Amino acid sequence: MADVSLRGVRKSYGSLEVVHGVDLDIKSGEFVVFVGPSGCGKSTLLRMIAGLEPISGGEISIEGRVVNDIPSPQRGISMVFQSYALYPHMSVYENMAFGLKLAKTPKAEVDQRVREAARILQIEDYLDRMPKALSGGQRQRVAIGRAIVRNPKVFLFDEPLSNLDASLRAQTRIEIAKLHDTLDATMIYVTHDQVEAMTLADRIVVLNAGRIEQVGSPLELYRNPINTFVAGFIASQRMNFLPVTVEGDRLVLPGGKSVASNHPQRGNARTLGIRPEHLVLATPETAQFSGTLSVIEQFGEYALAYVEMPNGDLMTVKLDGAPDLELHQAIHVGLPRDHIHLFDEAGRALR
Amino acid sequence: MKNQANPWLTSNLLVLGLGMLPAALLIAALLYFTAWAFAFSFTDLALVGTKAVDWSWVGFQNFERLFTRRGFLESLWTTVIFVFFSALVGQSVLGFLLAATLRGTASRLKSVIEVCIMLGWLLPDIVAAFLWSATTSQTGLINAIFVRPFGLPPINFINDYALPIVIIANIWKGTAWSYLLFSAALDSVSREVVEAAKVDGATPFQRIWLVQLPIIRPHIATNMLFITIWTFTYFPLIYAMTGGGPGRQTETLAVFLYNQSFARGNLGFGSAISVAMLVIVGLLSLVYLRMLREPK
Repeated sequence: MADVSLRGVRKSYGSLEVVHGVDLDIKSGEFVVFVGPSGCGKSTLLRMIAGLEPISGGEISIEGRVVNDIPSPQRGISMVFQSYALYPHMSVYENMAFGLKLAKTPKAEVDQRVREAARILQIEDYLDRMPKALSGGQRQRVAIGRAIVRNPKVFLFDEPLSNLDASLRAQTRIEIAKLHDTLDATMIYVTHDQVEAMTLADRIVVLNAGRIEQVGSPLELYRNPINTFVAGFIASQRMNFLPVTVEGDRLVLPGGKSVASNHPQRGNARTLGIRPEHLVLATPETAQFSGTLSVIEQFGEYALAYVEMPNGDLMTVKLDGAPDLELHQAIHVGLPRDHIHLFDEAGRALR
Repeated sequence: MKNQANPWLTSNLLVLGLGMLPAALLIAALLYFTAWAFAFSFTDLALVGTKAVDWSWVGFQNFERLFTRRGFLESLWTTVIFVFFSALVGQSVLGFLLAATLRGTASRLKSVIEVCIMLGWLLPDIVAAFLWSATTSQTGLINAIFVRPFGLPPINFINDYALPIVIIANIWKGTAWSYLLFSAALDSVSREVVEAAKVDGATPFQRIWLVQLPIIRPHIATNMLFITIWTFTYFPLIYAMTGGGPGRQTETLAVFLYNQSFARGNLGFGSAISVAMLVIVGLLSLVYLRMLREPK
């Protein structure tokens, strides 16, 4: 268990800077998820912490010790890779024991630690198998097991679930959460999947184009996104954004109807954001905007209605249960004012 | 495997037959020549003279001569040394070291080295042989640069150290193949596996020895198979450099075969030599093919 802290960490390839000065403090035992779109620098950041990528500027310290020039094995970290990266020519046991053997750990201790990790991950039956005889989920467990046996202070996960199918992914997600609880270790987890971020993280770090956009607990990010990027990225269904103009205490929507607002800074509002799950069906009289139903996705427990507005934009509305709606029928939608997010010209949230 | 040939092709016997014709002719020719060599290894056929027309069956006499007369066993030993040092030790190890060290470096130096290696490979054997003879002779470049300036008497390398010089020349000529094959093999090793080893605490040497080498083991076996067969039967470079001499110092089996068959005209005996070479190469191939198998 260890604190990890990043101070002005930069990474550039030649003249191209891909990580622009990241500051972050990760507390001991915390589960932190780096999330962002492809190319946002999240993996690069993780690889710099791991010592697989040289740091171009700034400082990374683990447990109060600056590790910029310390090679990976001495940093007290373990890493789980996206492709599992098992040694194909070694059995499961040898894969897990490899790091310990290199460190000249006594044989009895190697054996005890490998078997302990195998017990935690329930892979005791596969210890003699070769990786290619295992399924994707089993390989992932072995990769995690290999990380556990080294007894690291910090676990690093680089998109570990992206090669698994959907049901296995959900199952392994729960197991990783349990594992964090059992080991009580510091974990840094990189993903582009915001569901993994929401469900696993103590704190989420949202990255975009090499910068931190926002750091906070999953619910903080959900409730108070700092800008349109975070608002659009976090949560299963993307937030709807509408251009608004301000007239006194009313925000005028594209269709001409308006919604009241008592936000002190409403004068600067240019964009209104509302999550699909907060929109409600209304009558033509009470609705803030109307459109036609262009697509409906039924999930049984809920449905996503994509409503085409007169100006051609699509709005997503999440409806409970299995609503009985016809394609191309008129849809009238109400905007509950408690759930409205307002953003200024630069996309920053008005607080 | 599913038959994915065009249905028009598979349903038309005439087209099918025509399509197979080149392959069938090639196979027939190969079988014919092999059978020819095999059959004539039991005769006293000669290139010229009365035995060229009036040959007779001599049973296993030619094969007995392989072991009773001087020549074959000595040549076999020369060939073993030549193959071992030039192909297995030289080309393979050097090719691997080059591939491992140059891997991942996208420098100008890498391009220069690659071009140099490839040049040796692309140069015709006879040109290469002439270059090496000229460079290592008494009046050659090496003497001019490294020996004469120090007031030492010139050394006739190609004469005094014939086999080592031929071996070095062949290493220079053939390393490109091993280098290319090992480069491709190392590229096929997942980057993350190597990084995992790095995080696990493996030194650069351990990453190569304990992770990359075992993973590319089948490629190593394939490479060994190819270069052993090629080097075992390799003829032009040695023959053009030394003609098998001085004495019989560089007379590998291929040169011995040529000298017996065409210089002395003993086609029957030459056929027996070639059959023996075929058997030896076949046995070696079996060994490598076993190496190619995946471990249990």
